[in-house]
Formats: sequence, structure tokens, C-alpha cells
Amino acid sequence: MLDDSQPSEGIRFEELIFNDRVHSSLYTDDAVFEAEMTEIFRNGWVFICHDSEIPKAGDFVRRNVGRDPAFAVRARDGEISVIVNRCAHRGNIICQEDRGNAKAFVCQYHGWAYDTKGGLVDVPYPAGFKGDFSCHGLERLAKVDSYQGFVFASFNPAVPSLLDHLGRATELIDRAVEMSPVGRINLSGGWIHHQLNCNWKMLPENDTDGYHVNFVHPSFAQAIRSNYDEAVLQDEESLKSEAKDWGNGHTELSFAPSYSRPLEWFGCAEERYPSYTKAIKEAYGPEKGDRILLDGPPHAVIFPNLFLGEMNIVRFEPVAPGICLHIHTPMYLEGVDDDVNQRILRQSEGALGPTAFLLADDSVIAERTQMALAGKGGWLDISRGSQREVTDESGVVVGHLTDETSNRGFWNHYKKVMQSSVQSTPDAVSA
Amino acid sequence: MITIDERLLVEEFLFKEARLADESCYSEWEALLEDDMHYWVPAEAGQEPDDRRVSILNDNRTRLATRIRQLNTGVRHAQVPPSRMRRLISNIEIEAIAEGEYQVRSNVVLYEYRIQANKEMVVWPARVEHKLRMRDGALKMYSKHIHLLSSEGPVRGLSFII
Repeated sequence: MLDDSQPSEGIRFEELIFNDRVHSSLYTDDAVFEAEMTEIFRNGWVFICHDSEIPKAGDFVRRNVGRDPAFAVRARDGEISVIVNRCAHRGNIICQEDRGNAKAFVCQYHGWAYDTKGGLVDVPYPAGFKGDFSCHGLERLAKVDSYQGFVFASFNPAVPSLLDHLGRATELIDRAVEMSPVGRINLSGGWIHHQLNCNWKMLPENDTDGYHVNFVHPSFAQAIRSNYDEAVLQDEESLKSEAKDWGNGHTELSFAPSYSRPLEWFGCAEERYPSYTKAIKEAYGPEKGDRILLDGPPHAVIFPNLFLGEMNIVRFEPVAPGICLHIHTPMYLEGVDDDVNQRILRQSEGALGPTAFLLADDSVIAERTQMALAGKGGWLDISRGSQREVTDESGVVVGHLTDETSNRGFWNHYKKVMQSSVQSTPDAVSA
Repeated sequence: MITIDERLLVEEFLFKEARLADESCYSEWEALLEDDMHYWVPAEAGQEPDDRRVSILNDNRTRLATRIRQLNTGVRHAQVPPSRMRRLISNIEIEAIAEGEYQVRSNVVLYEYRIQANKEMVVWPARVEHKLRMRDGALKMYSKHIHLLSSEGPVRGLSFII
């Protein structure tokens, strides 16, 4: 069911979001958060899981969609459903394990049993049951679709197609899976749930902010040599990397222009993994293969909650206006030697999560930012570089790495999504 | 079975190791380590160090040296100023696993006051396994595995030495 309540009524997003600034109440206001849960996390597409997490019939993983508890499960016919994790009878959690395999889901409260598509199949003491099995199934998210194995879902039966939502950004997802010679990634490494006491929007913003790196991560730069030395830690004139707005809120930091050697993005020489580089060239041909090995994986956010974080996949999860989760897993590649995936795992542990060389510092800065926005708040400036960004032939807006092109892209789309709710309210004043 | 003297030596090591970590004396803490040190915070019960499941932290000696080097830069924002910490160690069980080598199991509760951020008190209860060996008349550490009760999350920032 589409949520007809309009918590955003009365919030005038056109007065809070401009091309050069956004208001801090967007990070702190309970009413804004409630409106986001409806307009973004119920009515729009949300990343749920990758199909490699649930390869076999009956495999399931628990996920939250916004704040709504849910689980994704593969049925015997291969179809993946995303189902609200709430018994249709009296509301108990129906899928208790975080992941696993089940032939059926049986409620531990009164024993109602459901199949792997959420259909009600058994009710104990049936003589007293006056309902109709077909009307008492679990609530399923109205739309489930996938692209390159990335499963997205929406509560909104009228949501435009997933391909409409992804738009040009399908190219970003293609680039991620093409790091594998067989075009398949595998998210079987488990997830780390890192809690940050900041608003969830700081995660997509910061993950494609190329301006902060020198200032938030100097300890990383001093302690370890990495591919980021060339890609993000140069002076303004020397930086070749770019900030990009792909449309529909999808944003990227493109490091590829900074790389001059194959596997530089992987922090090693080409000779280190000869069978991997050979497999990529054979799979994609010499020209495209060389390009993949030189450019490396995308560093890009798919609106609203998926981060293609180079060789990591990250989910963003809102909890409350001032609390969110950054949840990551290594992006394992199919069709490569074990040592490649081993390196991906160790790099993932180094870069992301509570103990990481990078994210631990981002998280403390984000928490201080959230503190700074308390009370009445004020304006935040996102104008940097608007005078020098250009739109390329495919429609992608390209800026200097340190410019807020990506953040403006996020907020432009956010404003459009949030305003649609205000405009659909009969008595709302249109912008 | 270990002797009383051995027990005292092991306990003394644990308390010193805890104090150096509590007080963010990074280099002094590092001086307790052997070259084959493994420092590990798994994410899941039953996880093995090399089983291809992602860990919260999984440092060999080289990576741990990098971690200490980063903390020592003085610009590791997540620990500037360092968290104010005190950890209590109890239920210490010691097993001799070779000549001069001990496996030590303990329960630890760490209180962390996040003075550099939101001045929140975070409590970190854990089951800890140390492996120690006698080297030149003093105990050194070659393994520390910290099994957090809350490892499956959500986990707050953990940029100090746990």
C-alpha cells in the first residue's frame, strides 16, 4: 500500500534547498526525517541486497527498508521477494535469523506459516480462523527489480521503473561488475554495521566529497603510501580526478584520470596478479580490458542508499535524524584467483568500518558536524565550483575533484523527490 | 597447571597492557608485541581469522604498525584528543600451551568516554584471548583476539587500541 499520510505537509523544501546552499534543519528536523522515510524510502527505489547473497531457493537475508523491518528471500522458482518482517496476524518478527535458508517461515507466537513468497499456508486450530488464506499473506514490497544482480525494491506500486531511476548510472554499476572477468560480483563476506551519530545524508554526501580528503585524512596520508596520494591528495592545480553528477541523485568521484598504471587503484603493480590481468584482457578484449585495469572500480553513490565504494559495497541506513548506519562488505569478484579476493577483503577492513584508517575519521567529523547543526541551525554552503563545472556529451555534470558538483547533484534530486510529496497534497501551496 | 609465579607474571602483563591501551601510550603498547602479532576483532560468533568473512579489525604485525604510526601522527581526528578509557579485566584463565607460552582467556569491560566527539560514554564488553610468550625474561604478546558482545552491530567508532 502506498503511504497516503503526508508528514511533509508544511515543510517548504524550496525554501530550504538552493543550488548554492542547504538549510541545516534538513539534517535535524524530525518532520523532515519522517517525510524522507515516506518519499525516499517507501515511495522510491531502495537498494536491498545482491542476488549472490541468496543464491539458492529458500535463502534469505534480513534488511531494513528505511526503518521498516523486511527480508529478501528467493523462492523455488528463483523469484526474489522483499517481504515486511511482520506476521500478518499479530505482528511478531517472522524471520528471526539475520541470514539463512528456510522452506517456510513459521511465526513463533501463534504458529502461522508462510511460504517463501509470503503466502499464508497454514493456521493452527483452523476451525476458529474466519479469514481467507489469500488475504492474510505477509506484506510484500510492491516492486522488486534488479540490475546486474543488485536487488532494489519499493513499497510504491506506481514507482517508475528501476531503469528510469538508475538512468545513466547503470554505467557505474556495469563498471563495478566488470572488475570481474565474468562480470559477476559476490557479496558473501558478511556485513559490518558501523553506527554514526549523524544524519544519514552525510554518508552519500561525504562519500562523494573530494574536498575533505586532505583535511580529514592527513594521518592516513602520513602513515601509509596509497593510490590516493595521486588521486586525491595533490594540490588544486595537479589534481586530475573529477566530481560528477550523473543525474537522479547518483554521484561519483572519478579517480581514473589520475591513474597512469594498470592496477594502481589496487595499490600494486600489474605483475602482482598476472592471471587476473590476463583474464580481464581476454574477457573484454585488449582495448576495454586495458581501460578496466587502468581506471579501476567506480567510487559512486546510487541514490539513496547504495555506495559502490571501489572494491566495497556499502548500504546506508537511516535510524533517526541524528543516527545512521554505514554497512559494508567486500566486493568479491567471481572468476578470479583467491589471492585477489583476499586482497579485496584486507583492503575493505582497512578502509571502512569502525576501526578503519579512513572511515573512523570521517565518522568523528560527521558527528561533530551533527553537533554543530543543533538548535536553530543555519545555512550550509554547497556552491564550490559551480562556475567551472561542465556538462559532458552524455549529460553528466563534471567538476574539479574538490568541487561540490556531486553534492549539488544529490540535493537537486532530493529536492525534486521531496517536493513531489508537497505538491501532491491538495492544500499545499505549490512552489 | 601453571605456578602461582607464572600466574602473577601473566596478570601483571595483562594489567600493564590494559593501562597502556587505556592511556593511549601507543608506542609503549607496541613495544609489548612480537613480530608474529595477530590483532583481531571478528564480526561474527564462530568466525575464523582466515575464513573469508569480513572482520571489524584483522591486523597482522605490518598493518598494526601502520595503525600505530597513524595514531602517532597526532592528526588522527578520531583520537584527538584520545578517548578517555578504563578497562576492567576479570575471570582470568591461564593455560600453558608450550614452554614459556600461555593462552589467557579473560572477560573485559571497557568504558570509553568520547571526549573528542559527542562526549558520550560507550561500554565495550568483550571476551578476550591473549597469547603470550616469554622472551628474554619478559612476557610479550603474539596474539590478541577481542570478541565483542556487540560485534554484529551496530558498532560505534573504534579507533583506539582495544
